[in-house]
Formats: sequence, C-alpha cells, structure tokens
Amino acid sequence: MNVVITPAMVGQVILSGLLAGALYALVALGLALIFGVMRVINVAHGPLLMLGAYTTWFAYHRLGMNPYLTLLVSMPLLFLVGALLQRTLVFRVVDAPELSSLLLTFGVSIALVNLAQLAFTSDLRSIEYIGGSWMVGSFAFAKSRTIAFGFAAGITAAAFLFLQKTRLGKAIRATSQSREVAMVCGIDVQRIHLITFGLATALAAAGGSLLSLIVAIQPEMGQVWTFKSFLVIVLGGAGNYPGALLGGMLLGLVEQIASLFLTTQLSEAVAYVLLVLVLLVRPAGLLGGRQT
Amino acid sequence: MVGIALAVYPLFGTGYGVRAMLQLFMWVALAGSWNLISGLTGYVSFGHVAFFGAGAYAAAILIVKGGWPWALAALAGGAVASGLALLIGATCLRLKGPYFAIAMLGLNEVLRVLVSYFEGLTGGGLGLSLPTLDATVAIYYAMGAMAALVTLVAYVIVTSRFGLRLMTIREDEVAAEALGIDAFRHKIYAFLLSATGPGIVGGLFARDQGYLEPISVFPLAMTITMIVMTLFGGKGTVWGPVLGAVTLFVLQEVVWARFIYVHQLLFGAIIVVVVLFMPRGVLGLLQLKYRLPRTI
Repeated sequence: MNVVITPAMVGQVILSGLLAGALYALVALGLALIFGVMRVINVAHGPLLMLGAYTTWFAYHRLGMNPYLTLLVSMPLLFLVGALLQRTLVFRVVDAPELSSLLLTFGVSIALVNLAQLAFTSDLRSIEYIGGSWMVGSFAFAKSRTIAFGFAAGITAAAFLFLQKTRLGKAIRATSQSREVAMVCGIDVQRIHLITFGLATALAAAGGSLLSLIVAIQPEMGQVWTFKSFLVIVLGGAGNYPGALLGGMLLGLVEQIASLFLTTQLSEAVAYVLLVLVLLVRPAGLLGGRQT
Repeated sequence: MVGIALAVYPLFGTGYGVRAMLQLFMWVALAGSWNLISGLTGYVSFGHVAFFGAGAYAAAILIVKGGWPWALAALAGGAVASGLALLIGATCLRLKGPYFAIAMLGLNEVLRVLVSYFEGLTGGGLGLSLPTLDATVAIYYAMGAMAALVTLVAYVIVTSRFGLRLMTIREDEVAAEALGIDAFRHKIYAFLLSATGPGIVGGLFARDQGYLEPISVFPLAMTITMIVMTLFGGKGTVWGPVLGAVTLFVLQEVVWARFIYVHQLLFGAIIVVVVLFMPRGVLGLLQLKYRLPRTI
C-alpha cells in the first residue's frame, strides 16, 4: 500500500463519510424505534428499505414522477406495509422471548426478498436522474449523495421533532421507557406499537428511496442495511435515539476512512469488525444507552 | 432395518438417487449440527454456513495443494471449522442472544470477502477445481456416517447433564449462572461441536462437487435451509432435525426446486408459521399430544 495520503484526501473522505452517515442514521432510527418500543429486532428492516427503493423506481419509470417526490409515495405506502406486518404478525411475538421475534422477522425478511425476486427479478435496476458532483474548492460533493443527505437530515430532524414535541411522539418515547407505566398513564400501547412499526418502516422506505438514486436496486440490497442499522444502534446505545444519529455518522466516517487504507473488498468487513469490537469493549454504546 | 436399506441402496440405486440421498444425509448432518447450538442453547446462529464453507475450502486446498486423501482432508476441514468456531465463539458468545445472532448475520459477508481476498490460496472468484475423482458412492457412505454421527451426538447430549445445562442456559441464562453453570464455557463447547459437523460435511461436499467458488459454499440460502429444517422438525430435540431435513428435502426435490424463489419464499413462510404456531416444531407438537419423552 504505497498510497500517499494527503490532507485533501482525508478531507474528502470525511466529507463522504458524513454524507453517507445521514442516510445510515435515518434508517437506523427506524430500527432503533422498533427495538426501543417493542424490544423486537426487525431483521426485515433491510428488505423494507428495498421495497421503498422499488417503489421509487416504479413511480419514476412508470408514472414519471420526480424521484424525490416519490418520497411522498413510498413513505406512506411502506408505513401501511409496516403497520400491516405489525398488526398481523409481529404483535404476537412482542412479549415472547427475543429469539422468537428474531426468527419471525428473519422469516419475513426471507419472504420479502424472495417475493421481490419473483416480482421484479434479480436484474439490477437504476434511476439515472442526477449525476456528477458539485465542486467546492478541491472537494467533490456527489450530487445524488448530497441531495440524499439533505433529505435524510431533514426527515430525521422532522422525526426527532415529532418525538420530542408532539403528544404522539412523547407517547412513543414513554412506551419505550416503560410499557407498564405508559399503560398506567392511559397510553394505548397496542396502538403505539402499530404506529411505531409503521413509522420505522416509513423511515426505512425513505432511506431506500434516496438510496435508489445512488446505487443499483436489487432485491438483496437491503440485507446489509439491516446489519449496518443494527451496528449503528449498538454504536449509539440501544434505546438511545440521538445515539442513532451519532452512530450513523460514525459508521459513515469509519467506513470511508477505512476505504483509504483497505481494498474495497476488505472495507466491507469493516462494519462487522466494528460491531464485534464495540460489543466486546463497550456494549452499552457510546452514549451509554439504557441497560437492555 | 432402515439402516440396512440405506446401507445397500447404492448397489441398486440410480446415479441420481445416490446423489439425492447423499444430499439428504448432508442436510441431516447440517440441520442436526445447527440444532446443537441454536436448538439447545437458544443462541441462534445465522451464519452457520460459514463453517460449512470453511471446511469445504480447507479440505479443497489440502486436496489440491497438499495432495491429501479426501477423507483426511474432510476431517481436517472439520478441524478448521472448529478452530474458526473457537475464534468466533470466544468473541461473540460473550454477547447476549440477540446480539450474537446479528453478529453471526454479518459473518457470512466477512467470510466471503476473506475468501475473495486470499485469492492465491483459494482461487478467489474464479473458483477452485479439484482433480477429478468419482467417489460418489464412497461419499454417500461418508455423508451417511456423518448424519448418523451427528444424530448420535445429539442424542448423547440431550440425554446428558451437559445437555440439561445447555437447555437451562436457553431457558434463562441468568438463572443458569446463578446455579453455578459456567454459561460461556458450555456455550463454547456446544458451538465447537456444532461447527465440526458442517466442517467435515463441507469437505465431503467439496470433494463431491469437484469445484468450489465462494458463492457456492457461503450462500445464505444454506443457513436458511438448515434453520427451517430444524425449526420445522423441532429444535432442541434429537430427531427433529432429521424429520425436518427429510420432509423439507423431499418437498424440495419433488416440488420446489423448479422454482427456486418460490421455494425460498415458502421457507420464509414456514419459519413464520412455525415461530407463531408451533415453536417446538412438528416433533414438539407430537411430544405434547402423545406425551412422548423429552429426549426424542
């Protein structure tokens, strides 16, 4: 590895890391919500993201919608899908040992991926909408990634505002802190579970829609996102929603920095190594989280 | 009786038939091994195919580069898989159940990446070819022996105190530790045992196929199939994985293999149904209904 690393390269890499980080944070927030509120590890999170990406693809290619406008389609649509999943399947395992919900969502994820393969074939699809980069000084801002960053940041900020300021948001946070006490306070926990799952799926769908403009779309695209979202949650601390933000940024940065030193192939393993490291050294995550 | 029938089958079975039975034995061994860790301790291993692949590559490399006889190479494959399990287990088994499961999910990817990276040794994406050898019948017996062995090991464990302790860990790890059970050590032993089978079987598979490439020995589909077979038959039981393997393999060969995505889809659906309605699998249902012994 005789690569000379210049400050400019480091700067570019940090920039790319931050741009990617927002997307990670967005998707991971969804997973964090499900885990925090229901103690369910939603292995199907990635495939749901994939469905969001396909929704955007179809809306763009069949209906001619502006890809960014399709967020208005994919998010509500996947909200319904998530709510449906919760109402029919997931609610049955919320109180069961975590293993059951893990296996259940695993089964769902396999089903979703294979449904997609049947319906859409494994052919790679893409949306060529906006390419190239903006140059600011010597730094390149890839257009599609920068716009995705903007939307991801916006949606994540909106989600946080929702959680902090609205009654429903507070109810969700209350339920994730303590289900029993929330019930005593008169919160309809079943409804909160339903809404949370739907909301989380909508966030994943948003991630998928934004992602569809950056990478190629295929049925298997979501699986690595489940893993990375989980990593983000572990980094930030399970049950800690702002932690998901931090974790997302961190993952983005670490991956980009690693790509400076490692071949592209090896840098795929970075996320995994990071997960094992964090779980061994500081399982509570960087922001401490709660004891789960 | 069934044993004798199986033993003499190659004498009059067709090439396809022997091949199919060989695969069935392989699945029995794989599902049974998965059961040893995931069924008994409750630590769901989503990356178990890693051991299969590791064993396959280890054996293949020994055969190709070292000229080892395939039987020995397969056993070495098992040893390598065990070593890998030790490495992974030492780090990951300290984690609580769900975290372990997710860590194992990522394992597949890592191994595939590693195999591609060490191209000189493994042939990378182009694959590794073994010298041609028609050992199908011999491998049939070897796989059969493995299937029997894994089931035997499962029986021995389930009826032993060791097995009881593993199951205690599954039910309530904190209570188990309070009882003085060194959970970590027990989990490691179970994990090692569960990896050896796939390692050896992987080595045999490599010999039988004659050609390996990363995607053929590390597919997620294989882990999924192992999981479905054990879940369906009954995790934590001795004959559950065997039942599951036989049933689903037959269904697969007869019905689904034609439409590969449909059959994976059905597997996903089966997992969902089993988790919701028969968490202890078919055997579990039978155990309840007919008051069969726990150690079946």
